[in-house]
Amino acid sequence: MPRPISAAWTPRALACMFFALAVFALFNAMHANAQEPTRLVVGTTADVVNLNPLVGNSRSDTWVTNLMYPRLMQMSASGQKEPYVATDWGYSDDGLTAWMELRDDMMWSDGEPFTADDVAFTITAVTEEAIGITAGLVGGSFERARAVSPTRVEFDLTQRDGQFLTNMGFWMPIVPEHAFPEVGQVSEFANDSDWVAAGPFVMTSVERGQRYVLEAVETYPFAPGGRAAVDEVVFRVFPDVNAQALALRAGDLDLIANAIPPAIARALSADPSITLVEIPALGWAHMQYNLERPPLDDLAVRQALAHAVDYEAIRRIALQGQAGSTLSSVISPVLSFWHDDTIEEYTYDPERARALLEEAGYTDADGDGFYDGIAFGLLYDQAAAEIANWAQIVRDSSAEAGIEIELTGLERNTYLARARDRDHDIYAGSWSIMEEPAAYLDLAFRDGGFINYGNVSDPEIERLLGEAQAATSPEEALGPVQAIARRINEQVYDNVLYYQEFQFAYNSDRWEGFVPQPSDLLSLVNPLSLASVHPVD
Amino acid sequence: MRLLNYASRRLLRGFATFLFAVTITFFLVRLLPGDPMLAIAAPGMTEELLARQIADLGLDRSLIVQYVAYLRELGQGNLGISFLRGQPVSEVLMARLPWTLLLTGSALLVTIVLGVPLGVLAAVKARGAVDRLVQVVGVIGQSLFVPSIGIFLLYTLGLWLGLFPIGSAVDPDTHGAARVLSILHHLALPCLTLVMAQLASYVLTLRATLIESLGEEYCDLARVKGASESRVVWQHALRNALLPTTTLVGLQIGFLVGGAVLTETIYAYPGVGRAIFEAVGQLDYPVLQGAFVLLAATVVLANLLTDLLYGLLDPRVRTA
Amino acid sequence: MTDVIQSGIDAREIQAPADPSPRRRTWRAFRQNPLGMGSLAVIAFLAVLSAAAPLIADFPSGYGEEILVGPSAAHWFGTDELGRDIFAEVIWGGRISMIIGFAASFLAILIGVTVGITASYAPRLDPPLSMLVDVSLALPVLPLMILVAALVGPSVETLVLVIALFSWPEVARIVRSQALSVTRLPYVDAARTIGGSHLWIMTRHLLPAVAPVIVVAVVLTASRAVLSEAGLSFLGLGDPDSWSWGKILYNAQRSGALTIAWWATLFPSLAILLLVVSATLVSIAYNDARNPKTREA
Repeated sequence: MPRPISAAWTPRALACMFFALAVFALFNAMHANAQEPTRLVVGTTADVVNLNPLVGNSRSDTWVTNLMYPRLMQMSASGQKEPYVATDWGYSDDGLTAWMELRDDMMWSDGEPFTADDVAFTITAVTEEAIGITAGLVGGSFERARAVSPTRVEFDLTQRDGQFLTNMGFWMPIVPEHAFPEVGQVSEFANDSDWVAAGPFVMTSVERGQRYVLEAVETYPFAPGGRAAVDEVVFRVFPDVNAQALALRAGDLDLIANAIPPAIARALSADPSITLVEIPALGWAHMQYNLERPPLDDLAVRQALAHAVDYEAIRRIALQGQAGSTLSSVISPVLSFWHDDTIEEYTYDPERARALLEEAGYTDADGDGFYDGIAFGLLYDQAAAEIANWAQIVRDSSAEAGIEIELTGLERNTYLARARDRDHDIYAGSWSIMEEPAAYLDLAFRDGGFINYGNVSDPEIERLLGEAQAATSPEEALGPVQAIARRINEQVYDNVLYYQEFQFAYNSDRWEGFVPQPSDLLSLVNPLSLASVHPVD
Repeated sequence: MRLLNYASRRLLRGFATFLFAVTITFFLVRLLPGDPMLAIAAPGMTEELLARQIADLGLDRSLIVQYVAYLRELGQGNLGISFLRGQPVSEVLMARLPWTLLLTGSALLVTIVLGVPLGVLAAVKARGAVDRLVQVVGVIGQSLFVPSIGIFLLYTLGLWLGLFPIGSAVDPDTHGAARVLSILHHLALPCLTLVMAQLASYVLTLRATLIESLGEEYCDLARVKGASESRVVWQHALRNALLPTTTLVGLQIGFLVGGAVLTETIYAYPGVGRAIFEAVGQLDYPVLQGAFVLLAATVVLANLLTDLLYGLLDPRVRTA
Repeated sequence: MTDVIQSGIDAREIQAPADPSPRRRTWRAFRQNPLGMGSLAVIAFLAVLSAAAPLIADFPSGYGEEILVGPSAAHWFGTDELGRDIFAEVIWGGRISMIIGFAASFLAILIGVTVGITASYAPRLDPPLSMLVDVSLALPVLPLMILVAALVGPSVETLVLVIALFSWPEVARIVRSQALSVTRLPYVDAARTIGGSHLWIMTRHLLPAVAPVIVVAVVLTASRAVLSEAGLSFLGLGDPDSWSWGKILYNAQRSGALTIAWWATLFPSLAILLLVVSATLVSIAYNDARNPKTREA
């Protein structure tokens, strides 16, 4: 600290501050004029965690790495897999060999050709090191991959598995063999510099917690002009969604990657320079009843619970109308090929719920307004805004039916740990992408399934699952899949409340040509969309 | 010689503080509920693969063994590898520490530059209108809830008037003077928010000690000798009054460096505070631990500096 | 906080704690300070409102049809993202916020005063205790609070514990330095030579001597605790089952209402501001009133 402090300090300091402010303002004005016309700035609320596309599993990770490492298949609006890098695929007659044909015009950004070897390398690494979701989806039946030509891969399977190709095709990004470490060290690879990409973009710089910059790759056959129309895509991190929306309105952002909360969507829709795009979720929000906790093993109790939820209020108030009904089915109508609209929907009917409980012999002897022994804890993640909101509605509407619900809103890690240990009466949560019924029904309803939060163990379902998985075409799998959904609905193994209609916002004064794809994972930031988007003339 | 003795005692204390902080955070971090493997484990992972991964991360050993191993690595300057990122922790955090230092350092500087004259003004006219105004404004600033005021400033100055950018710490592709300007431009609002939150502490401390000093004999003596009142204030009383302020700087650094989490969240400023909050959510022990190590080191170093400054400023330390 | 508490503390003034006249003089000076009296009235008003919450409004729960509607006759402070009445939330939230504030402050004072007085009275314990205090003061407080809150799980008790756990060192530091100036005074030595028990001397002589400091510390720690509670709740580490001012703000943040529904942010923020400002001004006025130098000015 300077010792002789002169009185002139104050005015001088003030003058300096004003000068500095003036410079800032001027700079701001200059800056606004000098903005690059072909730089698209995308906002995300969560920082990118891991840049290795096989390991990173947050949404931000996927949005960024999707632009660099292509998946083999595309997904249609109804969740069907369509050709992309893979042009054709199929299974041998015995179902133990699967094959895939690839495009011949794909290149890595360093000039190396994209070949079948890269595909074989990636799946070998994923299954040997058991990396991520893909390993769980395809690891069970995969044995070996062979690149029989630069454009053809064949896979030996240990058992018939009709989901193998589509699961791998959509869930596994392909990484360059020549720029990745050898199998065995892939999962530890941070991929944090010298990126080699075959997507529309390749990463050029990373500023953790702040910004991720990607540059257009010169050849990208899926882009309308053979190359992305924008030169640069910048992802910027905004931990607070409110500030993020302000940045979009102020023009600091061009597009928000994450789905925006209904309240903000409503406000943004009043802004003429902002356009909102509605994209349905490929998953749904649900409650699962732990069958190992009596009296939840009693079908009547589960049916009563299903009639004690004010579904309409949940969709209208907690989701502000931005949600649709799945008819209480675990196959949402978005998956139009699989959906069965003859399933009976559970409706909010507290009287019926009471009748069901009384028929089953439950009474309210102590006169507290709740049936004796009918009290359950509802486990949910406190940070999931929609669920935290509807959990309260569930509690209130259940009370109408004489069912006592105690809310257990926990911090995310505790929530996950409790759910993994199946330490809950009722589990509340949501799945973001459930696009391949035979695959996800297996994870969620087979005895010991990874996300079988209801501890469901039903031989009938196991049998049907076996049938669905052995089928090598969707048409063949349709029957058993729909039968499973019906069984789950009748037995109330799962109570699906809604599927969400996500809202996405971008600055339409500046940009046009986005290609929306289903779910919040693909939405407007999918590679095809960002390769096609271009400035408004 | 005394100064040297003083310095070495402070050095020892700084080291103890550091070790203490590392130790308690090490155990706190590992007591967190939840299981870091949940973030890593895949559905298809066999028990044997899972066990291998746990062993790879060192999670199968006892806490004490892990602790000793950690200290040994730390002694060699190694903060470990992030569970989720696969990157060295030092790389993850070094992208963020400079922003935290810039934000908190500039906030401290501005606070002192504004706080000293305001404190003097309030003390000289104690109980007058100016004094009351300074007090009330200062106290209000200190009592504002950071996210609320942050959103307000972003809305008015950022969106309406378009004077300041929203989010980030610097624009990309800027170099030289333009980069410095860009950094200052992004820094302005978060810095202002932090200054508002802590200005009152400094002003009020200075005011109180200055009132005391102005009543001391040596000030009366100076007045008798014919010194002007402003000379008495600025040259005689202030020198003594600055000592407690220096102590306050040291005390507040711990609060300031880590306390910017809310500011960083609202302004999307990529600092260490935010990284800690995220790492708690991800159960990324090494990053979490590393962030605490860096923060503790920063605080200890800053405190050492203020202590030494105090020693130089205060003749009693040198002679006592 | 340090600043305000230390300001105007003068050992000469409080060496005779049994004499009531300085206290009365302090009160007279305090009453003449409009800021101090006004602030005291505000605190009293907020406390009464919170205590009477059940009489004023129903406990906010369930949902309403009017979502995020601005202030009106039916909803003075507007409604939130589930259509609940924000006025009721602020009134009920005041209860928890103030309970957390005072409980945390009480706990912090208890630990802080014990450590501070012990350190000042027992010369042998002083170095380790001072070291502990200094070291604790240097820790990055908010990140540690986040860590502990996540560790113990969100609840009102957790918040009280966490805030108290990281607020006591400051109290201890101030109490110690204040008590040190008393332990060296002749009457304490006299008490020791007469053979008074240590506990008796500490509670009879030291405690009254530091009482004014404690009064100020209680008020300031409590108001700080209210802000800390808001901060932790805002980061999602609050109690999910009860309303506090921080919880209202957290809900507004999470649902994206911060910039859209000004009423959802303004009223709880204002409540926090009023309480914290009043508490701080009261303690400044109290110190000014006790200090003969500022009293005369």
